[in-house]
Amino acid sequence: MKQETPGATHLELKQQGQPLPDPLIKRFAAAVGAAYCYSRPEQLRTYESDGLASFRATPGVVVLPASTEEVVACVKLAREAGLPIVARGSGTGLSGGALPIPGCVLIGLSRMRKILEVDYDNAFMRVQPGVINLDVSKHIGPQGWYYAPDPSSQSVCTIGGNVAENSGGAHCLKYGFTVNHTLGVRVVLHDGSVVDLGGAVADTPGYDLAGVVVGSEGLLGIVTEVVLRILRKPEATRTFFATFPSTTEAGNAVSAIIASGIVPAAIEMMDTLAIVAAKAATGVDWPEVGAALLMDVDGVAQECEHTSAVAVELARKAGALEVRVPRDAAERELMWKGRKSAFAAVGRIARNYLVQDGVIPRSKIAQVLQEIAGLGQRYGLRVANVFHAGDGNLHPLVLFDGRDPEEERKAEEMSGEILRICLRHGGSITGEHGVGADKAAYMPEMFSAQDLDTMQLVRCAFDPAGTFNPGKMFPTPRLCGDKPGLYRPHPSEVSGEAWRA
Amino acid sequence: MARVTPGSIEEAQALLAEGGRRVLFVGGGTALPPGPPVDLEISSEKLDRVIEYEPADQVVIVECGVTLARLQRELAKHGQRLALDPPQPDKATLGGIVAANSFGPLRTRFGSVRDLIIGVSVVRADGTRAKGGGKVVKTVAGFDLPKLMCGSWGTLAFIATVTFRVHPLPEEAVTLCARGGDPLELVRRVRAQQLEPAAMLAISQGKGWDVYLRFEGFAAGVRAQRDKLRDLEESAWPEPAPAGARVRFGALPTHAAQVAKALAPLGARLEWLPTLGLGFASRATADPAALQGARRELAALGGWLAADGDWGPAPGSLGLQRSVKQRLDPAGVLAPGRFLV
Repeated sequence: MKQETPGATHLELKQQGQPLPDPLIKRFAAAVGAAYCYSRPEQLRTYESDGLASFRATPGVVVLPASTEEVVACVKLAREAGLPIVARGSGTGLSGGALPIPGCVLIGLSRMRKILEVDYDNAFMRVQPGVINLDVSKHIGPQGWYYAPDPSSQSVCTIGGNVAENSGGAHCLKYGFTVNHTLGVRVVLHDGSVVDLGGAVADTPGYDLAGVVVGSEGLLGIVTEVVLRILRKPEATRTFFATFPSTTEAGNAVSAIIASGIVPAAIEMMDTLAIVAAKAATGVDWPEVGAALLMDVDGVAQECEHTSAVAVELARKAGALEVRVPRDAAERELMWKGRKSAFAAVGRIARNYLVQDGVIPRSKIAQVLQEIAGLGQRYGLRVANVFHAGDGNLHPLVLFDGRDPEEERKAEEMSGEILRICLRHGGSITGEHGVGADKAAYMPEMFSAQDLDTMQLVRCAFDPAGTFNPGKMFPTPRLCGDKPGLYRPHPSEVSGEAWRA
Repeated sequence: MARVTPGSIEEAQALLAEGGRRVLFVGGGTALPPGPPVDLEISSEKLDRVIEYEPADQVVIVECGVTLARLQRELAKHGQRLALDPPQPDKATLGGIVAANSFGPLRTRFGSVRDLIIGVSVVRADGTRAKGGGKVVKTVAGFDLPKLMCGSWGTLAFIATVTFRVHPLPEEAVTLCARGGDPLELVRRVRAQQLEPAAMLAISQGKGWDVYLRFEGFAAGVRAQRDKLRDLEESAWPEPAPAGARVRFGALPTHAAQVAKALAPLGARLEWLPTLGLGFASRATADPAALQGARRELAALGGWLAADGDWGPAPGSLGLQRSVKQRLDPAGVLAPGRFLV
């Protein structure tokens, strides 16, 4: 994923679709209300990209439906007109999941932001997809409950987007990802039909299709309602911040803590450059050392006292220079703010940067970080590391100056090499940002043709015409009914009902 | 009907690639639903290797025929476990546990198979080998095939290998029992006091519930939680129900009392996971009318009941369910008549 700090856009990839005919626009306007149907170029510009800001494409029309029924109407109109559909929440995704297909119907779910039901005894909540992640926890917080997945963008990202991307966050080490907290979804399918998958009652008969929809990156349908699992807040949380001479000692501390049987709620690592960036952005008074860990344990108070004491001891044994425990909630919040703002903060120390999202077995952290540092030296580029150490989800940020095309090319090449290192160690090309438009090309390095073919069968079961988000996730365009192998035009392609992205 | 016991996944692939036969995959046989006859049974008995286990990463990869008990023994050597406790661990295989979405009371804290599985490799009906997920605890690349396999009852593909996230074994555990307790009230109390039981199980033999709670973890936390429920007696964890056909059911946790009433005519021992709204009835009666009556009452509450491969009324998503089945098993040869598709 590439982040641009303002001013550098020369390599922007922008694709323009054909403008849609006026009568069609009018029908979309009638479906959602004229005020929520955008087709003028200056209106469409807002929706040209998501958090993957270097990729841009212009949608044909943007509609902001207010209900499942309006989504159905838009899906049916798009289908009739033979247009691809892309769904969008707040547009914070980092892999281009909400990047428009040129000329597509972009369905924004931001107006569907009602909390429909809260049931504490049965520990669930029913919400519309446009509800902001943090607002879920805010809504139930006063009763002593919360919603566990906490992506760094949680103050702006939507539940619908979280469902599409199976978003994680710092605390998913102990509590799991969006999929572990999604009990059910209501989905509008390609033909405008509406299905409920899963729900508040557990294990309803049938395949776990809700589990398949979560993380499907908008390729299977449009989610218009979500049943979330909510949790009672833990009795206590203990946080500490520890500094180390280098990422090697910090990595060893992580391994020792996990090996002791502790399941931390979160354990995050930052290297020197990330520390410098976080300081610049938030004013935390962290020393500029080789590496830092920020760790939470939570649960029953006495257990937290025990596990935090053990973890601090293990960090010291692994070579910690200093261990800080926040004096109060405000200080704890500042520590976490420093961590959560570290991505954006890197914009303060470099003109441009690429973020990677590879995953490795956590026992390989120290080794892989050394390999990445070696790559940095070879390419002559700086790399900042800020990541979820407990589950081995790395976020190396490759810094570069986008005014220099050669440097940009090197950064992109190096970024790809980082993913290959992760794969060589048995890891994954993405832990939480998704494949989207950004990493589709790397899918064949992680999955065989047969693996991808099997996933395509699932896609075809949901969306035989490839209406939703075509061209994302899968490297090779394929229409349902195609045999893998040589390309032959599909009948629906010849007749103009479907297309290859 | 032929029964074969392939010695490798490649052999299983070759058997399926031959095609044209209705096939049933058989593990330990602890959850196998009855159904129409098939031409071929493929047993996972010899696919019993632990392929890879890295304690530091808390990840294990097994072939489908490994029994749960055997895996737990391997993991225990490194102070770890798979946090799943379905019945008959000596017989139940991991492939079968995934296919049947089997679970026990530990689901209270650790979730079900879907929350612990991180990767899978399967053999499709035509012999194609494919994988999904990965061997790291966190990956979102590609569709979630592992979850699609959970509770698929052998109808979508042969589950060849499974990759699980494992957990540390607890340092200490204590079981408490509220005899004649109200499951819902106990759940409320646990939440009000911010207790975190690893397992909660209510058992009824027809007259009210006995509610069991198990606290696990580091000694300090276990003792502190035990002390907050001073009025409850310490107890042994209840004996599992005798092996045999079990009726599964689900409803909202708040419907515990209505569920007990609906199932009373079965005259069965009921197990109920009160935080999850899931339960089992050991079969005391084979009376189909009593089962249908119980199913109707549960359905009226928004719940469900499954017995002997009969899943009850079709859900609204049946068309989509069938579409998935049709894409992955176009000839309909895998476990015919055993699931609602």
